[in-house]
Amino acid sequence: MSDSKFTRRGLLGSATAAGGVAAFMGPWRHNRVYAQATDKPIRIGLTSDASGQYANSGASDRRGMLMAIEEANARGGVLGRRIEHLHIDTETTPATGSRVAERMITREDCGFLIGAVHSGVANAISQIAQKYGVIYLNTNSSSPTESGENCHRVKFVWDGNGTNFAKAATKNAIDAYGPDWMLLTNDYGWGHDTAATTKALLAEYGGTVMEEILIPQGTRDFTAALLKLQQAKPGVVAAAIGGDDQKAMRQQVAQLGMGASPAWINSQQDWPDVYGLPIENLFGVFGTTWYYKLDLPGVAEFVAKYQAMYPDTAMRVPGNVFYNGYMATRELLSAIERAGSTNNIAVIKALEGHRMPAESRMQHHDAYIDPNTHQVQQTIYLASANPSPSEPDDLFSIVTQSDPETVRDTGSAAKCALESYEATPTFDA
Amino acid sequence: MFDLLPHIINGLTLGLLFALIALGFTLIVGVMEVINLAHGSLFALGAYFALATIGADWFAETPFGAWWLGLPLTARYVLALAVGPVLAGVAGMLLELCLRPTYGKPALYGLLLTFGAALVVEEIIRLVWGTGEQNLPVPQSINGAVLLGGMIFSKYKLFAAAFSALAILVVWLFLERTPYGAIIKAGAHDSEMVRALGYDLSRLRLLVFGFGAALAGLAGVIMVPIWGLRPHVGIDVVIPAFLIIVIGGVGSFWGAVIAALMVGLAVGITGAYASAWATMSMYILLIAVVGFRSRGLLGRKSALET
Repeated sequence: MSDSKFTRRGLLGSATAAGGVAAFMGPWRHNRVYAQATDKPIRIGLTSDASGQYANSGASDRRGMLMAIEEANARGGVLGRRIEHLHIDTETTPATGSRVAERMITREDCGFLIGAVHSGVANAISQIAQKYGVIYLNTNSSSPTESGENCHRVKFVWDGNGTNFAKAATKNAIDAYGPDWMLLTNDYGWGHDTAATTKALLAEYGGTVMEEILIPQGTRDFTAALLKLQQAKPGVVAAAIGGDDQKAMRQQVAQLGMGASPAWINSQQDWPDVYGLPIENLFGVFGTTWYYKLDLPGVAEFVAKYQAMYPDTAMRVPGNVFYNGYMATRELLSAIERAGSTNNIAVIKALEGHRMPAESRMQHHDAYIDPNTHQVQQTIYLASANPSPSEPDDLFSIVTQSDPETVRDTGSAAKCALESYEATPTFDA
Repeated sequence: MFDLLPHIINGLTLGLLFALIALGFTLIVGVMEVINLAHGSLFALGAYFALATIGADWFAETPFGAWWLGLPLTARYVLALAVGPVLAGVAGMLLELCLRPTYGKPALYGLLLTFGAALVVEEIIRLVWGTGEQNLPVPQSINGAVLLGGMIFSKYKLFAAAFSALAILVVWLFLERTPYGAIIKAGAHDSEMVRALGYDLSRLRLLVFGFGAALAGLAGVIMVPIWGLRPHVGIDVVIPAFLIIVIGGVGSFWGAVIAALMVGLAVGITGAYASAWATMSMYILLIAVVGFRSRGLLGRKSALET
């Protein structure tokens, strides 16, 4: 008979010591290993806003993701596994984005995260995702920082960014409307980054920044800024104003009859932000990645599928935000199939450098995922209001298109330093 | 100075609009001693009721709708100016009935209830009118721009400011020159004494809440053609309204009006010359005023003050 005996205190002490040792062994790497069973669903966390400044865009983004998930499940799932999804409102708030991401990963067993419109929210989510090695698709944020200084190995950015859109618009606008520009800039990351690109392009192409007016987020009265514009008489106003702020601005510019002169360049325009507005509110030229009236194969079928799935949605046609949500989700599921695994590193490698034919994306040029920044390089369109719509939803007409290389954001590429594979925690979802 | 003048006019215009928003809020705080966090939701409700009164496109497909939408927009807009506030007032009275169990309890109960009501109203709006941006049309005669001294101004904004000034005057006359106004003012000063004098305090509270809510609804109808109409538009209202009543002195009518004009000027002028500080200027003004005079500009002196 041994002299040693287990006491309750001894057991507790051992457990505490073991816990302490385990703590010191980690959490440098979070090896969350799940059994890859074919009956275990793949869980995806949808991190889209349902309230706040980007609530409408968040809903559109989510609808896109859901359509791609439904299509995959209708085919029998991915790798024989059903796709499950979970949505929690990120409230257009970075702090909420962090909390939601943490909960989805640690408590809800989500192996992938998808969705964001606000760049600050996307950045917050991606930091949590990188900590755990969870792949995160930023579907609709347009700050160059998302694929620049805030890039991460686990994050992939699907929308065009402020630089892409500014590159597509700036030179043409200087030629058409003159070199004197004023900037209206939403006073947060996306606005500043987009304005910085515009300034750099103006310097390159011979334009002049007469003045930059910073617009705090949540501004509802733009009269002071519009009076300044009227006093200064610029040839062009470059507006980087997002979400609800932009709606209020458009309303007031239209009331003042200032939509036609000066010329307005909106670096980007999300469809849900302006859907349903009267035609006089749709002044200016803006960038987008897709339009439902593109004369390309597959577009009509895509629109019909949207209308069948969402018969009661106020937006009767898919917009660019829906498109990005759909494409990102579809390509993620496709990457899992190509990788033949849900191992995060394998899926990351399947996404990096992946080329997407123009016809599969319903765009004019082939797109690819830049392996060094993880941003999708794609066709960028410039659009303006359609004075003679063929149907009530046909609000815009496409003015020009640019191939991915012409509008490539080299500035972000210089600032992005992706974490190594070794520094990224690995796991199977 | 010539460059500054348009921004001063703009600031005063904005201030009048802020005053209209804050008026109902300060009335309810004064009499009820309830900080109504649903004030913004009542503002939004007023605007949505006005939108329904003006009529949606689908309405045209019904027999009555075709006739209704055939009426001039000016007629429908004038009616909307009445219907929006009245129905918002009714909603406010319903809210007051819900608030009754919280009277006499810590203020937190009332705060939580009105906060919950704000969430409920916003969800109802989403269900009924959808989540998208809506446009409240205004008659052509008050749409577009007007040139004043070489500067361009929105006709509608000038109309809205003039309308707000008129509304402020009417409310003041009501409070100062009518027996009902006297009772309301007495209620704001000492509600228990009003009860002791034989007035029905419950009915007074119901009417004051309804009146304050109707003013919120009126502000909504007037403001959303400028701000845009969306389910959470009311959130944009509560913070400036709250700041204004604190700066002006809680419960003070003219305090609220003066504070609103000051806030409007601060926002308008910083918006032109230090635009990044435009929103922040409201808070800086609050700190400046409350720092020197804790009860606000025209707030009543506390019994604790010497």
